[in-house]
Formats: sequence, structure tokens, C-alpha cells
Amino acid sequence: MPQLKILAEGKGEYLKVDPDGYREYVRDHKQRAMVSKLMSEKEAVEKFVANGDYLVYECNYLQRGPSSLIREVIRQKKEDLWLGAKFTWVAAALLVGAGCVSKLDVGFFLFGPVVEEAIREGRVKAYEYSNVVMSNRIMAGAMGLPFIPVRSFGGTDGFQYSGAKLIEDPYTGQPITLVPALNPDVALIHAHQADIYGNARIFGTGISHVESAYASKKVIISTEEIVDTEEIKRDPARTSIPYYAVDAVVHTPFGAYPGEMQGRYASDMGHVIEVVGATMRGWIPKYLDKYVYDVASHAEMMDKVVGYERMREITGRATIKEGYSV
Amino acid sequence: MGTPAAYFNEREHQICLVARMIEDGHTYWVAGGGSPMAAILLAKKLLAPEAVYVTEDGVVNPEPMLPLDPLMTMVSSRASYRALQWGTMNSVGFQAQIGLMDVGILNTLQVDPYGNINSTATGDYGGEHRRFGGPGGADSIAALCWKTILMTDQQKRKFVPRVDFISSPGYLDGTEGARERAGLPRGTDPWRVVTPWAVFDYEDRYMRLAGVSPFVTVEQVLAEMSFEPKMAKEIETLETPTEEELAVLRSELDQRGQITDVGKPIIRLDDGTYQFVEEEQDEAKAKETPSSW
Repeated sequence: MPQLKILAEGKGEYLKVDPDGYREYVRDHKQRAMVSKLMSEKEAVEKFVANGDYLVYECNYLQRGPSSLIREVIRQKKEDLWLGAKFTWVAAALLVGAGCVSKLDVGFFLFGPVVEEAIREGRVKAYEYSNVVMSNRIMAGAMGLPFIPVRSFGGTDGFQYSGAKLIEDPYTGQPITLVPALNPDVALIHAHQADIYGNARIFGTGISHVESAYASKKVIISTEEIVDTEEIKRDPARTSIPYYAVDAVVHTPFGAYPGEMQGRYASDMGHVIEVVGATMRGWIPKYLDKYVYDVASHAEMMDKVVGYERMREITGRATIKEGYSV
Repeated sequence: MGTPAAYFNEREHQICLVARMIEDGHTYWVAGGGSPMAAILLAKKLLAPEAVYVTEDGVVNPEPMLPLDPLMTMVSSRASYRALQWGTMNSVGFQAQIGLMDVGILNTLQVDPYGNINSTATGDYGGEHRRFGGPGGADSIAALCWKTILMTDQQKRKFVPRVDFISSPGYLDGTEGARERAGLPRGTDPWRVVTPWAVFDYEDRYMRLAGVSPFVTVEQVLAEMSFEPKMAKEIETLETPTEEELAVLRSELDQRGQITDVGKPIIRLDDGTYQFVEEEQDEAKAKETPSSW
């Protein structure tokens, strides 16, 4: 029998690939019945984010991301997380700065002293990919496959520090890069609308929110608005994620704050500058005190720290409605 | 093509150089934000309205609402306004993988004579090094577009004999077929490197100086490189911005100066001669400015 030829392989650790194990997990844990999954952010994170989990978030802290859920993960002082840090801006730095992280699969993050020091001192281990390759890995996980061939990434030094392999393609005979599928333990996703069962609508561009929902063992959806299931049925083509992929639904107006939620509110410029500054200058502890530790919840933060006036201002600047209609 | 501008800064000049390379009827997969985005939007406003702009987050040919918000561009409603399609990072990655993306436009920290790009770490990755944010979308843009335009500054520490870390592929070790041997698609190439001072192309997969800005000399360009490029037989003198280009750049695209006003030296054109009118920013400050956005 002809042997498959591995031409090169990265030496990076990667999350164990186990598509049959994932299928069995899905069989045993994903609710097929339409039951309400509505709960508080506190309950959702307590129940579905465990120390040691592999965590992905869709989009990021500054752009239609699950910002309130990320803050709750920090507030609950989760530890030893492995982050899928694709297209991440400040989220990786906040979670690393809060001591929640031990491993990072890197696509892109806003660098700064916090992550740099953590990597240099060995508190955090980084493995190298790219945004697209990370999204492709999640795609493979969502397809129930063990790996996915990609036409990028080969020849880079990132390849050396990743779980990628270069093989001779058995069909064309040409070299082809394979990357391991990713089935995260938990995905945090922020939606425009969802019903209480988890049928969720996300409008606008994105990174890999649908794929992450299918690929992840535990899926927490935070949503700007809870809609009736009848509303979902009125326009099924707009359902981004069906209920049976979802484990928790958290009703969280301004859940993407300080980032933009297209069609609903703009990003809070002052806050964005504050958090980017904190990342670049190493002031993350001060930032976390103000917006995470010194308040009990997202609702309290919006009420007491952010306030009505800023909510009014960012809502007023969301002038573009086309495509994000309710 | 227009009236030569009397005052412009280095970044504005560089953006105009790239904008003039953009052609109607081609697709441009452009790194999120910064000078690459300014170049494609300037081209679409003034020079090549039928050029097709595609973003890293899968937005096909938007007409962004201007001016853009500071810092945030991708996934925003303003940046993805009036597009033909809203996709995802996977959808645009697959579009590029099947060959739909003609030209990629990127920024980088460090480049070598083979066009390899570093945005991950400077120094010894396995030991003492300074960490940066990783390739983001640049690796896929450099791997999958048919041609790539790279934007960077003309500095010794940016043009190095070998990048400290290949985040995104150029010609790799420079040997023929190296990209294909690494599994990258056939017929894809680094194509141009554009700095405020010079334009480079490639000859036998090695960087070649093709053009120099009129306010610097070839010697000055070479002094700001840590390797010797090949030299074109005739080095072109690059055209500086026109008043029309600057009017669009300054009054429509970048009103806040967030892209162009980063302490870049200003050049004055007076009676046919160019002069720097401000001192260069100091090195320490330059290092704090993340230029790989």
C-alpha cells in the first residue's frame, strides 16, 4: 500500500483533533428539544466556561464582539484558557492581562507589553497561524472533519510553530498544507436578535460566527434583542445559527460595547482610545478595575460607569440601517 | 495628470504612488485600515473607479461612508456600506484561494530581498525578541493573490537581508519554485514594494530598485537598506502627488489625518526643486507607532 508522504510538519502543540469524539459530544449534549436557554451572563459563563477550556470569540472586543461575555469571563477569573486569537485587537490582551490565559493560537492581536511579557516570561505559550487559517480550522471543525487543506500558510515561519503539516497531495501529487480542525470547548458570539431557544440572527460581515457555532462544544449567544420565534419563522433565511447549536442565550443590550453593533450603536470612541491605550501602555489592570472588577455585571457597568448620555450618543451615531433592519 | 502639489508629506506621496498602480476591472484584496485602504479608495475616487475593493472580512466592493472612524474599520457599518456582498473571513479566503483576487495590498514591519514579510517578531523568535501582533490577514493575501503590493517605510531596520520571522510569504528562500514546493498556488508573486522614497520590483525573485522619489537620491535610498537591491537599467523618477489627489485624500478620505499625519516629513516643491521642510521624527517615537495595522 502506498505511503502518505509528509514533507514537513510544524512543532506547535494543537488542540487534540477528535471528530468522532466531537460527534459523540454533540449527540449527548446538544439539546434537540426547543427549550428556553435564556439565562444571565453570570449563569452562562459559570455553567459553560470552565478553567482549561479552549475559547473562541467571534469578531472582537471592539467590533460586534461578545464584549460583555469577555468581561464576565474575566470577572469570574477563569484560568488556563487557550484562546483562538484570530482578528482579536485588544481581547487577547485583556484576557491575558487578567491572568485567564495559558495558550494562544495567534491570528492577529493588538500587541503591547502585557502579552509580550506574558510570552517572554513563559506564562503564555503562543502558536502561530493567520486569521484566515484560524477561520479555516474552525470551518473544518464545523464540517466534522479532522483537518483541512489550505493553499496559504506554507513556507512561513508560522508553519514551524503551528500544528500544520505539508504533505504530498495524493490526488495531484503537488505539495499541500494541512491544518488541524478546531473544535473549541466554548464559543462566545454576539447577535443582533435571537429567540429564547437560540435561533440567532447576525447581520453584516463577520469572521466565522456560523462556523464557530457549529464547531464548538458549548455556545453562548448574547443578543441585543430577544425576538419571538414567530418572528424567526417570518424570514428563515435570516437565521444565522439554529437553536440546536446553541447552549445559552443571554439578553444583553449594548453587549458589544465599547464596540459597534451595526445598525444599533456606533463604537464609543473615548472608550476605544482608553482600552487601546491601556493595551499599548500596560495599564490593563486599571482598565479592568474600572469596567470589570468594580461592577457586578454588564448592566451595572452600562448604568453606572458608561451612563445614559453616552448610550444616547452612540445610538444616535448608528445612522446606517440598510442590511441591519429589525 | 494634474497639478503637482506644492506641499505634501511622505505618507501622502506613498499612498498616491500605490493608488496610481491600481487599474479598473481588477480585484484588490486589501489589508484592513491604514495606507493600503487609503490607496485603493483614492484610486477608486479619482483614477480607477471600476477597480474592485475587497476587505479582509469579506466585504465585496463597498462604498465606505467617509470619513472613516479612527482606529476601527473592519466589520463596521461605515466601512462595509453599500457593498455588493457581505461575506466572512472564510468566504473571502476561499474566493482568494480559487484565484479571484488579482492584487493584494499590505503594510509591513520588515521585508527582505525575496519579499518575505515579518509582522510577528523582531529578534530571535526562540530567544530574545520583540513580539508583534502576527500576520492577521496578510499571510493569506501574500499567498493567494496573483500579485502583491507591499507598503513600508524606507528604513535600514525594515529592509533586512533576511526577515527575523516569515509571517507572510514572498519568494521564501528565493529559489525557483520555492512557493510551489511549500504548497502555495502556482503563478502568485510578490510584485512591488512601495516606500515614500522608492518603488521596487523583482528580477529573478530578488528585489530591484525601479524608481526613486525626486526629493531623495539613489544613494539615500540605498543607505536606508541593510542589503543591496538589484538595480533597474533606468531608475525612474517617481511623480509626486497632484493637488487633485491630495484634495481627495485630505478632504474626503482622511479628514482627521489619522492615516497620513503620523509625523511624516513634509516636502515642499518650489520652482522645480523639492525640499524637506520638517525634521524627521525621532527613532524612539517611530518604534511606538504600530505600522503593521
